[in-house]
Amino acid sequence: MNMNACKRTIIGAVLVLGLAATALANPALAGRWRFEPALSTALDGWHKMDLVVALEGTKVALTHDMLWIRSKVVATNTFDTAQPVEQKDFFRIEQRHMAVYPEKHGVTKATASWIDGGRVLRTEAMTPVEVSQGNVLMRITTEYRVSETGDTLTLIELHSTRNRPLVYVFKKVPAEAAVN
Amino acid sequence: MKKLTFILSLFVAGCSTPLAAMPASAAREAWMMNFDLDWNVAGGLSEKAMLVSLQGLANRASPQLYIVHPPKFQWEITGPLYEFYQRKHGVKFTELKTADEALAQFKSSAKGYVVWDRAVSASLNVAFTIAGLEDAVVVSEELIPLVEKHGLKPIDDLRGRYTGQTDDVIYQDAYDRYWARCAKDRILLMGGHVGTVRMPAMADWGVRMKMFFHDLSANPKHPKELALNRRLLSEIEPGGYVFGWHSYGKDTEEQYTTLLSTYGLRMEGLHNLPNLSFNCQFKFTPGFKFTNNHHVAKDARLTAEPKVYLAFVQSDSIGIGVWTKPGRGKLPFAWQVTMNWTEFSPAALEYFHESATPNDYFIGGLSGPGYMYPNHIPPERFPLLMERANKLMGLLDEHVMEIMDNSAADGNVGNADLTKETVDRYYQAFPNVIGFINGYGPARTRDLRDTRPMISYDYYIDPRRPRAEVAADLNELIALNAKRPYFLLVHVRESNDVNSLIEVTKQLEGPVEIVPVDVFLKLAASNKTYTTRYQDPEEPKHFSGYPKQ
Repeated sequence: MNMNACKRTIIGAVLVLGLAATALANPALAGRWRFEPALSTALDGWHKMDLVVALEGTKVALTHDMLWIRSKVVATNTFDTAQPVEQKDFFRIEQRHMAVYPEKHGVTKATASWIDGGRVLRTEAMTPVEVSQGNVLMRITTEYRVSETGDTLTLIELHSTRNRPLVYVFKKVPAEAAVN
Repeated sequence: MKKLTFILSLFVAGCSTPLAAMPASAAREAWMMNFDLDWNVAGGLSEKAMLVSLQGLANRASPQLYIVHPPKFQWEITGPLYEFYQRKHGVKFTELKTADEALAQFKSSAKGYVVWDRAVSASLNVAFTIAGLEDAVVVSEELIPLVEKHGLKPIDDLRGRYTGQTDDVIYQDAYDRYWARCAKDRILLMGGHVGTVRMPAMADWGVRMKMFFHDLSANPKHPKELALNRRLLSEIEPGGYVFGWHSYGKDTEEQYTTLLSTYGLRMEGLHNLPNLSFNCQFKFTPGFKFTNNHHVAKDARLTAEPKVYLAFVQSDSIGIGVWTKPGRGKLPFAWQVTMNWTEFSPAALEYFHESATPNDYFIGGLSGPGYMYPNHIPPERFPLLMERANKLMGLLDEHVMEIMDNSAADGNVGNADLTKETVDRYYQAFPNVIGFINGYGPARTRDLRDTRPMISYDYYIDPRRPRAEVAADLNELIALNAKRPYFLLVHVRESNDVNSLIEVTKQLEGPVEIVPVDVFLKLAASNKTYTTRYQDPEEPKHFSGYPKQ
């Protein structure tokens, strides 16, 4: 096989995989979701959290719209189900009463895929964090599961450093309310 | 003997008149009232405001009137301290059941009354200022018949004087009329609750000591109030006190503490801290000496093993903490003592020390001789303040200094770190401590110089957080900080239940040892597995402070 043929094969494979990934995406995940504290693991240091999901091709943008007293933080993590990504300023839903901080100038490596027949988005991020002993890596594995009725999103988060999973439940914000 | 002399000198300084100093052993008569929890503006506020102003006047020359608050009041100590005064100071209390009875007993302490305007919130603070200067009780108009029944005459009437005026205008008027005659080494920030509830339980102290009352804002969004506030603070003597608390409706604790620190002043709160006019007039009982439950000698050298060392610290001043709640003593706990209570509430400090278990260990704070944010203390004011703190720590037999600077933080989260310059100043000012603690929420200022570590909190226990999650959080910190030894310092927020923390400790994974904080610091000095770190100028600050004037 010559070089051009090889390239064509690779590009073709990527396209196929990309199309497959797109085809498998769950459109029900898209939109604005509002955190339900009563149904979720206690979240310290944030009063409110909206998760805004945007799907475009193989890209999945997860925007965290956070509020603490009067402080608002909006941060987006963009994944690609077709290839690994690297991202500065990766946002981690942190328990802010723990001395665990994003590493300064740290770069997070992340992957994403649609699993369970495309119903569930699974992500995995290796994110560098600063703790009192220095900088270490934390692996964060998440699954985003939309309910059959489409109105509830359950985010299950596992840390390489935590045996107890974190479970955050969101309710879909109607489109007209999301605009406001 | 030197210690005793120092205690006496502190006492005299705090109470302003040596004649007021009560011999600890002398049996004496006093009166008490039981307050309920009704501080509603439309309910119990008027009568309570009148009574605390009367208390301030009645306690001018000697301690005569003490208020006992229900156990659910924020300062849970008033009941235990009432019992302590009887038991240790031989005080024979007679209960006064009504305002009428209180006025009948103490009307001679007042020369008259001043009427505040219920329609103008700030007028109550102006009335308190007048009460201190003119020996008046503070009344709303419906209480006029009651005080007149006891022969009190009108001294001033604020009804209508400030109608429609903003707080900056009102307090400017009060400044022009009264500030010159008010105490200059202290001021009363009577803020706190706003709206339907107000809680000026500290007013007795302000009235007794002729302080200027206000609730001016430290919020830059209120430039006129802030300007007058700054003028007042600039005219307080160096190292002076701001008693009370910021207004919950105008600014934040962080803003106000930053502002007063900018002037090298110190906060002594809260606005509802009761009975200082009474408490300040008692000395320690004969023979009493503070002896802390040290677990390690000051010059000892310990060697940390490959373990996780965990220490619990309770700040927020022991009076509003978990002291009287079940479970205390079952875990090693460090308690941050409000050191200035040596001046204002010696009996309270003695009560705490008397009832301490071997697991209770007292540490100094907060940041100095009072609550202040050290990143903002002018460098030229720092040595004098910390010299006072050193002396108080010596008196209280304390070897550990706790520091907190939330000026750049956002509530209990965010940037709570110290600049390197601030850290340098502490190391210079406290050569004899065994170490420093920093933070409230988590922070990441850390250092080790000679044998004195500075360790920040790695975790803050919110009382509402489910205990299973607290255990999981701590276990995650243990996993993330994988080197051994790991020094895990935990701040226990007021109102946490010690028994529930015992359950948490049972769920911790790894070679965990819970140690007293003095042992913790000695061990942390032996093997520095933590990084050296100060506030990074590039890190975001929720509030950057005030421009110099």
